[in-house]
Formats: sequence, structure tokens, C-alpha cells
Amino acid sequence: MLDALDRVRGSVPYPSQLRLPGMLAAAVRRSPIPHGRILRIDTSDAERMPGVVAVLSGLDRDRPGSPVWLYGVALKDQPLVAAERVRYVGEPVALVAAESASAAAAAAEAIQLEVEEDPAVYDPVEAARPGAPVLHEGRPDNCFVHGKLRHGDVEAGFKRADFVLEETFTSPVAQHASLEPHSAVAQWDGGRLTVWTGSQAPYIVRRVLAEIFHLEPEQVRVVVPPLGGGYGGKGHVRIEPMVAALAAKTGGRPVKLVLSRAEEFATVTKHAAVITIKTGVKADGDLTARQITLHWGGGAYADASPGLVRAGIVRSVGPYRIPAVQVDSFGVYTNLPPAAAYRGAMSSQTTWAYESHTDSIARRLGIDPLEYRRRGLLRPGDRFATGETMHDIHFLECLEASAESLGWASARAPEIGPLRRGRGLAVMMKSTLATSRSSCRLELDEDGRLTLYTSSVEMGQGAHTALAQLASEFVGVPLPRVRVAGPDTQVTPFDSTTSASRSTGMMGEAIRKAASSLRDKLIEAAAPLLEVPPEELEWAPGAVRPAAAPDLCLSYAEILRRHGLRAIEASGTHETDGGIDPETGQGVASPHWHQGAGACEVEVDTETGKVRVVRYAAAAYAGRVVNPILARLQNEGNVVFGLGPALLEEVVFDHGQPVNPNLSDYMLPSFLDVPAELVTRLLEAEGAEIHGIGEMTLPPVAPAIANAVFDAVGVRIRDLPITAEKVLRAWKEKARHA
Amino acid sequence: MTVEFLRPKDLAEACQALAAGGAEARVVAGGTALSIMIRHGLTRPGRLVSLDDVAGLRHISQAEDGLRIGAMVRLRDVELHPGIRRAYPALALACGEVGNVRVRNQATLGGNLAEADYAADPPPALLALNASVRTTSPDGGRTIPLGQFFRGVLSTDLRPSEILVEIVVPPPAGLRSTFLKFRSRSSEDRPCLAVAAVAGFDGDRCTDLRVAIGAACETPLRLPAAEGMAEGRRLTAELIDEVAIAYADGIEPIDDLRGSTWYRREVTRVFVARTLKELTPGHW
Repeated sequence: MLDALDRVRGSVPYPSQLRLPGMLAAAVRRSPIPHGRILRIDTSDAERMPGVVAVLSGLDRDRPGSPVWLYGVALKDQPLVAAERVRYVGEPVALVAAESASAAAAAAEAIQLEVEEDPAVYDPVEAARPGAPVLHEGRPDNCFVHGKLRHGDVEAGFKRADFVLEETFTSPVAQHASLEPHSAVAQWDGGRLTVWTGSQAPYIVRRVLAEIFHLEPEQVRVVVPPLGGGYGGKGHVRIEPMVAALAAKTGGRPVKLVLSRAEEFATVTKHAAVITIKTGVKADGDLTARQITLHWGGGAYADASPGLVRAGIVRSVGPYRIPAVQVDSFGVYTNLPPAAAYRGAMSSQTTWAYESHTDSIARRLGIDPLEYRRRGLLRPGDRFATGETMHDIHFLECLEASAESLGWASARAPEIGPLRRGRGLAVMMKSTLATSRSSCRLELDEDGRLTLYTSSVEMGQGAHTALAQLASEFVGVPLPRVRVAGPDTQVTPFDSTTSASRSTGMMGEAIRKAASSLRDKLIEAAAPLLEVPPEELEWAPGAVRPAAAPDLCLSYAEILRRHGLRAIEASGTHETDGGIDPETGQGVASPHWHQGAGACEVEVDTETGKVRVVRYAAAAYAGRVVNPILARLQNEGNVVFGLGPALLEEVVFDHGQPVNPNLSDYMLPSFLDVPAELVTRLLEAEGAEIHGIGEMTLPPVAPAIANAVFDAVGVRIRDLPITAEKVLRAWKEKARHA
Repeated sequence: MTVEFLRPKDLAEACQALAAGGAEARVVAGGTALSIMIRHGLTRPGRLVSLDDVAGLRHISQAEDGLRIGAMVRLRDVELHPGIRRAYPALALACGEVGNVRVRNQATLGGNLAEADYAADPPPALLALNASVRTTSPDGGRTIPLGQFFRGVLSTDLRPSEILVEIVVPPPAGLRSTFLKFRSRSSEDRPCLAVAAVAGFDGDRCTDLRVAIGAACETPLRLPAAEGMAEGRRLTAELIDEVAIAYADGIEPIDDLRGSTWYRREVTRVFVARTLKELTPGHW
């Protein structure tokens, strides 16, 4: 990894550590109640406090020249800060900019706020019922998106089935818990706005800020230093709009906001989901139909959820041959913090449902869960529920690699006292973005150094390292002479976003095209120097030479020097264009499919219900691996990350108030929870394109563990996380019935 | 808001600083718990009185009249002390289960007791060992048996300007002791339940049984009636189950993110039994 030393030493220049001359600190005043009307807000005391430079509140909304108050990447429903209503505990109602963080915090506390509480709703299924408290005018059912997929005749399929199995699975609100909290610095210079932010999507931030502040996109500059983790929680737009609106009131002084850990919990979460899945099955195991109904808790604002809920449609079906599929996916407002993509977006919840469900089917049929999946998994050339034909498909290999690494069929340890062992597995299928674009620029200078200008975000995943490796390979410049610059929207070209495991594949392809163009330019430039026509010249790493006389080789640096050129540049763009019909879900959902699997052995203490993951084996399809060490770490990191939502993680709310908004009460896995044996594998294929690997082995973790728990003690847990108490209750329940 | 941070050189000065600070003043020992509480806004002291420079609070001495541990002794030093490990394994084990090694290198035994977090590990071990604490204050010092020290969640018998200076544990007198911590969540979580047990044996007959449970209720506690069930009897599997059930039925467990009231009763029964099995002669 290029910045490994900085990461070990803690000297990575994170955005939260940025300091600018004259910089002010911001603090946020937040709603104390989950839902209600703002009766009065008075900032005059706060404004008079020492060190206070500016205060932003709903009082600014109707001033002349004020920004567009409501924004959103999909629906414009979110206020810069709440002006009329508050819709969740922790929603910003005012911001203070002051000379110090403590002065800002004291002033934020001094703001007088009167609110009148209204009834609130927290569960997405309840929120969608008639009569539930309504969050937004014009959305009486609280539903902000209804995604659909219609493929074949589901009712006929259920009739044809020998049995129909229906189960409901839930997944709670969870936290991304990035090491570095959200942070942003904003500064105005006349009509130009510069924002330094820990964002995964600089160009989305630029577009949304331009809309809010009546600017051309070029008048907004978004700079993204390396992030301390993202996991989807820093995708799209988060705290940048309110920080920029506050900075507009400081007379040009920059303002910085760094969230506390508690504020992180009030800023963005993983979607809560309630998923009902119903499948028609023939006695031989063939599936006849599947109907899936999903309710996603979007929180108080739609944010990126409309697109994510739609993306979740194809991610909810499962990688199996099913002739008839119907999906109804509802995005629902609730009085909780807004939800966003969470590593393996939507797949972390949907895989939990369809892979637990698949095991239930296999158990009902009395077939080994591996053998059962082997029979029904999609294979190359099969048609998926979207109507598209599957290519580059390796679900079976992923699953078998996991099972083999675990020793699926090996002899089992004998039972010791109350301890029972069990094995489980799961496989997942995820789309990447159907439509997206990545551009880059390569600049080769007279000393033979190569600079890659890219808006791909480095957030600890090693994107810049992998992209530098590709640039080095495609251009033929040694890696130590490759530098990566960006993201900076004033300097580095457009990239849709760093998410959905798309960077190495999409940006890598843009680099390949730019490198090819750069090499053509070098050959053109070398032709007159070598007095050989371009078509008779060939490329060698770092040099150009006549095919007939390889000894007359001209290095890149020499070509530039002899032309008197300081640098030579080339650009490349890669674009995919797909999408599914909003009414039927038919079309092209993804340029390629993310494929991963996991198998594990657990030990269940039947006296306490405690589950210990003893061994875990995971496999992902990578197409082609660029950096084996980083890719392996992604695979391993996903499994460790996945233990949290599987066994431990849930943001608990009491009437909308977060009960555990800190890392002492909210439980992340410890290194001591990592299975003693953890094996991961990356599958490649000859000549294959690069597939993303940032999230493939995460979604299978929870269902693999639940399936192993079932194998061990015969109880099916359908609500995440799989806590010791849930397992013990289910075990006692089972004993009572036996 | 400014916070005054004082470093008195002796106990008299420290008591004075506390008394003068009134309700605004808090003692800082290792600071591991207090700093988190301040950060979360759960307490906002205006004056912090550090015991770091106060002499005479860092001793571990073992003599015929028992064990004395200075209030500022780090948990890690208790955990690793050879004499404590030999004579009072329950205490060494309990101190070794707190947080992680970085926390244990900073947190102190006195601070751990004075904080009175219901989910702390050392209190049940010391309670089962019949320990007491010695204090000092402008009105003089006193000795408080641990059974009377904890009053509720984050609440003790300490008066506003009173400082815990020493933990006193009676001689081991041939007693066996052990400690088990049950974490219902991650391996670095605080306990859902902690059980400490001390027992004396005459041959295979139990002469003295003390079982303290922590993290299950608002304060660590013992049930003398249940302990008495073992008096003069062999610790058979049946007897162990009877004692374990008596504990499970005899407590009023709390309900938190680590387990419901129902769940805590269940694991109390399981872990009182597991702890007693470990104590039984010939178990190993």
C-alpha cells in the first residue's frame, strides 16, 4: 500500500485534521425529540457569546439570497437545518461558528429552542400502515419509493409447487462506525465555494452544493483528502450543505465541523429492513416462484434511499434459477436518523433473508445445504429475473471454494458438555451500479514520472495503490515513479462515486484507455525522432522502439526532452449504461455481478445461547486480482466486519432516543472474536475483467452463521443480530415443545 | 467551561481540595471511567483532584493479618502479583478481566470500587473475599466492609470529601477462590454476569461458602441463605444446582443491552453452578 507507513504511524492527513488560517470551529444544536413542530428558536443569546462569529438556523431560510433550503440527491426533502419541523432525535436545528470548538459548543447550547411534540413512528412496516404519523406533506403513506420487479406468473408458480414456504426476516438499524467521523471544512471566496470533506462522492457533493447555493458546478470546488473509512456512510451528501451554509455567514473565514461519535449515530445509519420471502418448491427441490416484500426504514429523509431501494430489488432475489419472481420494495420514512448505503448496500440485509430462507428450504427437503444450492444456483447463460442473460458467473465456484476450505464434509468434533457444533454456508449476488462513469487523466513529465489524476477516493481500502499499479502497468512506468493526485473537482476529472466496489474495475478501465492514448501519443512523438513511421514503432515498458530495430530504443523522458516538452497528457473515460424498468424490473441491472460466499463452523453454548464462530472460510470472485495483499485484506476485513451485524450490532432506540450511541454500549466485534481459523480465497478467470471485491464476503456472514446455529442446535433465528439471549430463548422454546 | 486540575501531594491536601470544591469536585484515580463520563456529558466536574502525586497509595503488602492494596494500585499490578495469584486467585482473575490490557495498565483498584459501576469485575471478587475499604476524610478515617460500601448504580457510602485509600482483604486461611466472567456480546465487553466464589473445605465437606455475583443487579451481592445451604456438606452436583437455583431465584436482575431480567436469571443459575464446580476439590 502506497501510504502504508503513514497509516501505521497515524500520520495520514485526514480531513478531520485539516487546519486552515483563520479557521473557525462549528458546533451543532440538535433536536431533543423524535418528531414535532418548532415553535420558537432564538439565537440572540448565542450570537452575543464570546468567540461566536456566525449562527445558522431556520431563521435564515427566508432571508433574501438565502440558499435553497430543501435538498437531496434524489428527493428534495431535507432542510439545511430544520426550520419548521424536527423529524428525529439529533436532527440539526442550528449551527454555530466560533473561534474555538468549546466556544461553539457553549453557544450551541445557549440557543433557545421550543418544540411541540407530535406522535412518531419508528418501524418501517408500522410507518407504512394507514393512520401512522405522517412525516412529510404529500406522502400520506410515508412511502417515498416503491420499487417493483415482475417476472413470470408468481401465483401460477405457487400453485404448481409441492409446498410453499414463507418467512420474515429483520435486520435492525446499525452503524458504519468508521474510524474517522464525518468532517468537512467550507470556505467562501466571493461567489466561489471550496469544501474539503471526507466524502466518497466528490462530484455528487459538488452538484448538490451548486443546486443549493445557486452556483454553476464549476464555482464549487470539492477536495477530498484520504478518509479514515467510509463503508457507504460517507457516500452521497452528508454534512457538507449545512457547513457550507454556515460558512457563507463568516465573511470568508473557513469553518470546520468534525462530528463526535454520538453525532455519528445521529447522522447516518444502515437501513433497518423487514423482508418477507415466500417461495414455491417442488419435491425435487426445483423452485417454481418467489415473492419478496421489503420494507426499508429510510429514516426521516430520503437521502440516497430511492436509488438504493431500487438497487435492492435485484439484490433481494438470490442467485438461483426461479422461473417467476415478484418483488415489491418500499422505502419508508421513519422518525429515525437517515439511512444510507452500508458496505454491501442492501445486500447485507437481503442476503440475510434469502440465504437463511434457502437453508430452511433445504432442511425441509432433507437435502444437504451445499448439495441443495449446487443444484439450483445460476450458471453462465441462465436468465435472471430481470430478463438478462448471466455472464462471467461463478457462484458455484465461490460456494464450493468456501465449503472446501472449511472442510464442509470433514469429521465433526465430539460434543463436550453443553457445547454443540454446527456448520453453515451462504452465497450472495450483488449488482454494481448499472449506469456510471469514470474519467481520469495521465500526465507523463520530462523526468519520466507519471501522475494519475483521479477522483476515486482513498478511504483505507487501497484504491489509490491499486490504480497506481494499473497505471504503472499500462503505461510502463515503474510504480515508485507513479503519483496519484486527487480527488479535487477543480483538477481531477469526473467520477460517479467511490462505492459499490466499482473503483478498480471502472477507473481501472479508464486508466487503460488513457494509457493506450498516451502510448499512441508517445509513438507519434517518437516517429520523427527515430525517422521511422509510427506504424512501424512498438511500445516497450518505458520506451518506444522500431519493431525492426529494438536496440534503437527511445525512453519516454528522452522523447519529451528532445521535443522540448515539459509533459504529455492523455485522458480516458469508461462508462456503463444499463438500468431496469421501474414498473417491471426488466432490463440490465448490472454490467457484471458481485459474487461471494462463506462457510463457517460455530460452537453454541446451549446453557447461555452464546455463539462462537470457530472457523470461517470465505471466497469472492475477483475476475482479475490487481493487488493480492490488499484484496485478501478486503476479503478478511469483510468477514470480521460482518461478525458485528451478525452477532452484536444494533442501534437501540427508546421512543426515538438512541440508547447506545457510543462504542462502549454499541458493540463492535473485538479482535478476540475473530475466528481462530479464517481462510479467504479470491477466484480469478483467464482474461476476465476486474471485478470489485470490497464487499463480497460480508453479506454471507450473517446467514452462514445463522445456518450453522441451526445445524448445531436446530433453532432458526430470523432477527438480527443473533444474540445469545435469542438463541437461548429459541433453544428453550424448542425443548419445551419436544 | 474551565476545569481546575489539582495534584495534591498528600491525603490531607487532597481532602481539603475536595472539601473546598464542594459538589463540583471529583477525585481522579486512573481516570479511565471518569474521562469517558466527562466526554459523554454524564458528569461535569469543575474541579478534578488527582491522586497521582499522593504518596502511600501504591503498595501491595501481604502479612499475617491479610492483604493490603493501596487505592492507586493499577489493576494490571493486582492481576500479575504472584502472592495475590497464589492466595486470592478470584481477585487476580477479576482484575485481569477488566477492559483490555491498556485499560488495566491505567485503571486503579480504588478507582474501580469508588466508581461503583454495576458491571465492574473486581467488586464481586472482593465481596466474596470479605474485603473492606479504608478511607480518610477531614473528619478522620474509617473502615467500611464492602458489603456496606455499594449503595446503588454509581453510588457508594463515601461522603463528599472522603477518599478511599486502601483495600483490606482478610488472610486466605486455606480458602479456595475463583472468578468467572460471562460476556453475552463481544470478547471485550463488560460482563453480563460475574461470579466470584470462595470456599473452605474440611476433607470434602464445605465449611465456608461465599458466592458474590456482579453485573446482574444494581450492586454486587451475596445471598447468605443460599451460601448457608452448603455448610458442612459435600459440594455434589445436586447441591451445586440447589445453590445456583437459590441465587437465580433470589435476585432481582436488571435489564440492559447485555441481557434481560429473564436472561440474567438463566445465566446466573448456569454460572453460579460453573463457578462452584471449579471450586470443588478434585475438579481438576
